[in-house]
Amino acid sequence: MRAKTAILVAVLVGLHLVLLSAGFFAPYDPTTQDRELPYAPPTRLHFEDDSGFHLRPFVYAWTSVLDGNYSGSYEEDRSHEYPVHFVVQGPRYKLFGVFETNVHWFGAIEPGRVLLFGTDGYGRDEFSRVLFGGQISVAAGLTATFIALLTGSVLGIIAGYYGRWVDETLMGVTELFLSLPWLYFLLGVRAFLPLHLSTLRTFFLLTGVIGLIGWARPARLVRGLVLSSRNRNYVLAARGFGGSDVYLLRRHILPETFGVLLTQAALLVPKYIAAEVTLSFFGLGVSEPVPSWGNMLSTLQQYSVLISYGWLWAPACAVIVTSVLYSYLADVLHSQLKSHST
Amino acid sequence: MKLIRLTLHVCLLTGACFAAAPVPDAAKPGEELARMADVSGHYGGHLTIGQRSEPKTLNPVTVTDAVSREVIGRLMGDLIEINRSTQQTEPALAKSWKISPDGRAFTLQLRKGIRFSDGHLFDADDVVFSFSVYMDEAVDSPQRDLLIIDGKPMVVTKLDQYTVQFVLPRPYAAAERLFDGLAMLPKHLLEKQYRDGHFAQAWSLNVQPAEIAGLGPFRLKQYVPGQRIVVERNPYYWKVDRENQRLPYLDELVFLFVGSEDAQVMRFEAGETDIVSRLSAENYNLLSREKSHAGSQLADMGPSLEYNFLLFNLNDLSGKKLDQVARKQAWFRDLRFRQAISAAVDRDSIVRLVYGARGAALWGNVGPGNKLWINQNIPHPPRSVETARQILKSAGYSWNSAGQLLDAAGRPVEFSVITSSSNSQRMKMATLLQDDLSHLGMQIHVVPLEFRAMIDRVFQSFDYDAAVMGLGGGDADPNPEMNVWASAGTSHLWHLGEVQPASDWERELDQLMQQQMVTLDYAKRKQLYDRAQELIAQNLPFIFLGTPNILAGADSRVGNFHPAVLDPYTLWNADELYVRGPAQESAGVR
Amino acid sequence: MNYIGRRLVRAILLLIGVSALCFLLTEMAPGSFFDEMRLNPQISPQTIAALRSRYGLDQPLIVRYGRWMKSALHADLGYSIAYSTPVTPLLWSRAKNTLLLTTTALLLTWMIAVPLGVWTAARRGGLLDKTVSLASAFFVSVPELVIAVALLAIVVRWRILPVGGMVSADFEVFSAGAKLQDVILHLALPVSILVLCETAVIVRHVRASVLEVLGARYIEVARGFGTSPTRLLFRHVLPVAANPAVSLLGFSLAGLLSGSLMVEMVCGWPGLGPLLLEATLSRDLYLVIGGIIFSALFMVGGNFVADVMLLALDPRIRRDGDGDRADAS
Repeated sequence: MRAKTAILVAVLVGLHLVLLSAGFFAPYDPTTQDRELPYAPPTRLHFEDDSGFHLRPFVYAWTSVLDGNYSGSYEEDRSHEYPVHFVVQGPRYKLFGVFETNVHWFGAIEPGRVLLFGTDGYGRDEFSRVLFGGQISVAAGLTATFIALLTGSVLGIIAGYYGRWVDETLMGVTELFLSLPWLYFLLGVRAFLPLHLSTLRTFFLLTGVIGLIGWARPARLVRGLVLSSRNRNYVLAARGFGGSDVYLLRRHILPETFGVLLTQAALLVPKYIAAEVTLSFFGLGVSEPVPSWGNMLSTLQQYSVLISYGWLWAPACAVIVTSVLYSYLADVLHSQLKSHST
Repeated sequence: MKLIRLTLHVCLLTGACFAAAPVPDAAKPGEELARMADVSGHYGGHLTIGQRSEPKTLNPVTVTDAVSREVIGRLMGDLIEINRSTQQTEPALAKSWKISPDGRAFTLQLRKGIRFSDGHLFDADDVVFSFSVYMDEAVDSPQRDLLIIDGKPMVVTKLDQYTVQFVLPRPYAAAERLFDGLAMLPKHLLEKQYRDGHFAQAWSLNVQPAEIAGLGPFRLKQYVPGQRIVVERNPYYWKVDRENQRLPYLDELVFLFVGSEDAQVMRFEAGETDIVSRLSAENYNLLSREKSHAGSQLADMGPSLEYNFLLFNLNDLSGKKLDQVARKQAWFRDLRFRQAISAAVDRDSIVRLVYGARGAALWGNVGPGNKLWINQNIPHPPRSVETARQILKSAGYSWNSAGQLLDAAGRPVEFSVITSSSNSQRMKMATLLQDDLSHLGMQIHVVPLEFRAMIDRVFQSFDYDAAVMGLGGGDADPNPEMNVWASAGTSHLWHLGEVQPASDWERELDQLMQQQMVTLDYAKRKQLYDRAQELIAQNLPFIFLGTPNILAGADSRVGNFHPAVLDPYTLWNADELYVRGPAQESAGVR
Repeated sequence: MNYIGRRLVRAILLLIGVSALCFLLTEMAPGSFFDEMRLNPQISPQTIAALRSRYGLDQPLIVRYGRWMKSALHADLGYSIAYSTPVTPLLWSRAKNTLLLTTTALLLTWMIAVPLGVWTAARRGGLLDKTVSLASAFFVSVPELVIAVALLAIVVRWRILPVGGMVSADFEVFSAGAKLQDVILHLALPVSILVLCETAVIVRHVRASVLEVLGARYIEVARGFGTSPTRLLFRHVLPVAANPAVSLLGFSLAGLLSGSLMVEMVCGWPGLGPLLLEATLSRDLYLVIGGIIFSALFMVGGNFVADVMLLALDPRIRRDGDGDRADAS
């Protein structure tokens, strides 16, 4: 059991580290367009050529074949081999947004391109975009979760602790929020955003909105917890010898909530990632040219893309992998919680 | 799927004997029919066409959306029609007309003995009634504005039972084109509702088939909410084919509400619809590759009449608190700035990547699709970032060490471009532009907005820097575009609400457009409009980008499929479409 | 019945709150229905202004809300600008299609999830349990959108099912049997998406709550007394595990009208979802507000039914007088 949890946590942490240092792991800049290579399939890694087997893989360049229908299909140009090198120099970027460097994990000498996941409609490297998109989508999930849990906990504690009509009003408001016409709200907020907001601030505003809409469930949970622990013997005893409200909350009631909140967090992160993906898919979230898993998937709305360019499903796989990992974490935390409380 | 469909067709054929589509009425003596000398086909069958969204109404006077118009157009007849293939006017319900020497009075002779789809006779009373409804202020028809020239309405008088006179307040070029799209209404069915003041509620989608009648090739048979509208042959339709057989050939036409263009393609591929209009290039290429559609008729009709452009906010912002935008207008107002941008735009990539090479680059408002009016002498300079940089340098701009473009005051050139988030092609154009202009050191932010939010900014609040939009496509004739180019025009997007022309070239443009509007001779009009195009291309109120080709497709069994560059692209000749296939005896004329 | 009475009052207050919020939010979204006409150079602004005032769009918010409230009390939810017909029959004709979809999905989901949840809880650690856990973990994690688009791609690529709409174009000439088959074929895709996503959630909850009960003292005692497993299951385990399940059912009922919006959009099902989305985007005001009230009604109604059911099922609530639905997390 322990080993499993450790592996799971390690994988998750590793995933986040990779996403954080996306600039290093991605061979190319996610916004550089290559107008000669729209919708190019993934480059195949070859190990064998006429001179035999090589340990170092190499790739061929794609050349487009134009048949009379202008339907760009590609074939490998076998005249030149481009070996894949590791820890190479490539396009400049800022690691963690701070350190300027141009070292990438892998790459090939120009004009060879290692397109692990092919390219999108503008010829941008899909693999790099998945990594950078992950930064946005996962960050959106984490931020929104944080906001939701923070708001929810505060309100839930107030409702649970002070009880009766405060509680009733707050619970009524949560039901109201759960019935809200989200789409209009989002349209309204979107339309009010000044055009001059940087993408970063738009992003925070969006996650703020998603998070704020979602505070209802955590609030109810925390409230339930506070209600039940409020009447525990030790709390009553503490109150008996003069403990103030704040003291009671801090020493006795809050610690009870941590475990639950952590589990909730692990459950909510994938849900909020999904929310960002869905919103961006329909054009209401993060917009071009900033990649996010959601807006990358929105090209799949086009029928021709949906069935012809399978490599563009890569962001969906990324979302699935991340969500499954977080789900497992939630499960593990949940069972640990159970075993602790009984 | 195919098997199911075949079975259905067998059922339909047998069922057709019982669920009989109306048989064309025999020609009556004294009925003046219109003979289409080059049309032939045979009777029977039905075709299904997918629609992008649901029609909202069947009322030709209050209709606002294109989808409803697509249906209504098949049910209604006009006095004069524009043949979408030749783009010229043809007699329709009016068999001939005379224009007075001063160009203001049109006397139309109506065909005699024509009936509405319910058998009622049509005459001048219906025409006068129809026009009084269109021009009634209380009805608020969007088409009313077409009939008001210089603030004065057209005067419609009945001269005798089959002659109507229209007097315009002043001469208006190509005035007969106005009549296309103005459906003739049955007075006997609608007069009561009109007098009662409930006209806007007339002919909603729930109308009973017996209460709606028109002079079009089809009449309403059934409406299933949320799913489809079925129209059946009008047995009294007034056009006949080469063999004097009364049109239309089809028994029924089914409009299926399908949704997005991609959903349309899916259904077409699955064989559930027979005609798909306005494909995107990717879907067109996809369909031409699919073997299951060998034999499908895919038509590339060449460039459309639409023009897409980058628009800069040159509105007068005094009185509005839009300081940031106002500061940037100093750049936008400089013609050299716009010229540099036009030189740096990669139009080839736009045509290739946005339109899948099925489109045309534009340097002016009239593209190669409009053969009658295009000015062939407008220069088409290829893309040159170098030229753009030179122009910027001469205008006082410079670059800093990071490659950013700075204006004369040292401020970095940065602005946002709004576009409609629901139009993926324009979004793509904006993204390509962003990259193009980054080669000049400009920083562009692409801001997709929901459609109405964008309209609000462009028309009302003026809170935007630049926008990627599209206009045009209605008609080949320049007159419908008056409001875009006239400085007081309501679609004068770059500078709305101008009281006086803001510059010399706009003044000249005003004069040219006014003149061409009242010049009746085509050659003279062309000269005037050529000069107008020249002015527009030189002064770049819009930076023109490109236009898509009109791509349409039909199943192999659709006969007389002739898509056109003008709307409605595939159904304009719905009366001539027929179903090919195993020999079917024509339903015969009773 | 104090409990029921209080819940009812809360429900009504909620509906009023939702309607007020709706009006407020629709004010926030810029633009109005007739803006699309501005792009047409052939329509004058005067016509647009006249149309706006005809439909009362230029009235202040309070006035419009007041008038709407008055007519809403007579079950008249206003007039759709786009369709030129009253809102209520329009909504109802579409809501029927949505309800067909969601009720079918609901029934199937619960018919699959409950037995599956109980079984895997009873046979904990077995092969079935592991498979179901894995599958449900997967389907719970993956966004519904991704599942919807993936299934759509499969169905379209291999022409397994008809896509889009509720019936085929030639529906009218079918026999009764063929009609039923046609509807079922069209239902298959959207229902599958909904069932896949929801079953995963419910199976996990059912399993968890059954497991929790199975671990309780009194179960051990009953087992010690030699009670048969069946009797154990039905007399002792299920009634207790029912509380959270009923709450879940309440949530499912509440989402009957609104939960399938995305699936309807992706699959082209002619339900309330696409109608409301188009109305939202085109600012067909009263249609949108009417639609939201409709959905809110169902939501409130669903929660209310759940509350009543809980009251009937759980004696603890009756005793305590102020029960709380166990929260589904």
